[in-house]
Amino acid sequence: MKGLIKNNLYGTYANAKVFAGFMILFGVFVVAVISQSLQIGYVMTGIIGFSVSAVLTAKSDFASKWGKYKLTLPVRRADIVRSHFLNQMIWLLVGILFVGIELSLSSLFHGCPFDQPVDILSMFALGISMSLFMGAVFFPLFYAGGAERGEVFLIIAILCAFGLDFTIVSITNELLDAGAGTVILGIIILAGCSLLAFGLSYPLTVCIFRKKEY
Amino acid sequence: MADILELQQVSKTFPKSNFKLDKVTFSVPYGAILGFVGENGAGKTTTIGCILNTITKESGTIKLFGKEMKDADTGLREKIGVVYDGDNFPAYWNAKQLSEIMKGVYTQWDQELFEKYLKDFNLPAKQKIKHFSRGMSMKLAIAAALSHHPQLLILDEATSGLDPVMRDDILDVFLAFMQEENHSVLLSSHITSDLEKVADYITFLHDGRLIMTVSKNELAYDYAVMRCRESQFQKLDPQDILVYRKRDLWIDVLVSDGKGARRKYKDIVVDHVSVDEIMLLLVKGEQI
Repeated sequence: MKGLIKNNLYGTYANAKVFAGFMILFGVFVVAVISQSLQIGYVMTGIIGFSVSAVLTAKSDFASKWGKYKLTLPVRRADIVRSHFLNQMIWLLVGILFVGIELSLSSLFHGCPFDQPVDILSMFALGISMSLFMGAVFFPLFYAGGAERGEVFLIIAILCAFGLDFTIVSITNELLDAGAGTVILGIIILAGCSLLAFGLSYPLTVCIFRKKEY
Repeated sequence: MADILELQQVSKTFPKSNFKLDKVTFSVPYGAILGFVGENGAGKTTTIGCILNTITKESGTIKLFGKEMKDADTGLREKIGVVYDGDNFPAYWNAKQLSEIMKGVYTQWDQELFEKYLKDFNLPAKQKIKHFSRGMSMKLAIAAALSHHPQLLILDEATSGLDPVMRDDILDVFLAFMQEENHSVLLSSHITSDLEKVADYITFLHDGRLIMTVSKNELAYDYAVMRCRESQFQKLDPQDILVYRKRDLWIDVLVSDGKGARRKYKDIVVDHVSVDEIMLLLVKGEQI
């Protein structure tokens, strides 16, 4: 398992270092300019971007025979799937850390750019849940449909994540009264739904992967 | 001694391509190299896929170390080393990263042995695999396959596309691996000269069916090809003919008892037969 996680970390690192370079430059700009919209954009891009790099590692395994070779290693197919889910969690944390640092620096120089601190929490919750929904949709599709369709599955997964998030936000806004407590409840619902989807996606992906032939 | 790998009546159908692996049966004894020969699409890779569980067989049994291997049998896979044709590992890795990953996967990973192989094969530890030549990539794959002390090596076209010098180096590594008497190799290859050099047994596969398994000694000393004219061919005992192939001026006839054929048919030229020639006769020839 340790080896599989390392494999995914190396795979993601190859893409993530390029993305991290971009995020650093973007971060300098966002810190220098006082703009709430830019802050929101930066947070969402950072959290989702690193997660996208992580899920794409599953595809890069099949650029060589490594995807097939892995099945001959002393690991179970469930371990291979779990390593991808764990890898996404790791890079999601990296994304959170990245945007967290930028946001802290921006707040240090210019103060909090949001009306209420809970808005920052909402923004993070939205980014995290979109990343989790994306992974939850991408992995089963990827293993069912094959690596050659990886890009289109990623696009579908991102769109599904957007759709699911905005549906949940719309429903909670509709059903709950306005107020700080409601925002917190909305965040909990958003986080709970995305975590549940991510958690359920794992056994589904294992089930699909067990039937695949390479 | 018992068999390290045993296949009994293994079948697999691919409806889309209309290909069927049909009741393949053979075994690899401990301490032996079995060469696996067949034309492109004969079913060699499919058979290896069934053995390694990358493909699910429809019927039959496959026993590795006396046991059917399931997904959860990670202990059995600890004892197997695998090399595929081409790029076994992602191009963005280097050998050092590969060893770190393998260390986290194999309980018996031997870092010193891996480094020794890197040194023996002149492979740089920190150069990305994408900058390796094909020969270097194959050597790296072999180093990785051997560095966890496997008992069984499964090699799918591991020497194809390599120059003769590189192939010779790699075959020497396999022969060194065979110094341990409980080690075995299943070597699938198009390059029949490689198999003639190292294999103890050769299994011929054609169009998804196993044609025959013979020992190299039998091939060298017993099997032969008779070059007959049409009139001579008509007089042959049908029981002596394994397969025959009509050429422009003569007919090639494969026999399993060359010495007997020389005694029995004194007016017919009886030649030694190479693995290549047997494969051509089995694939393109006809049976009585």
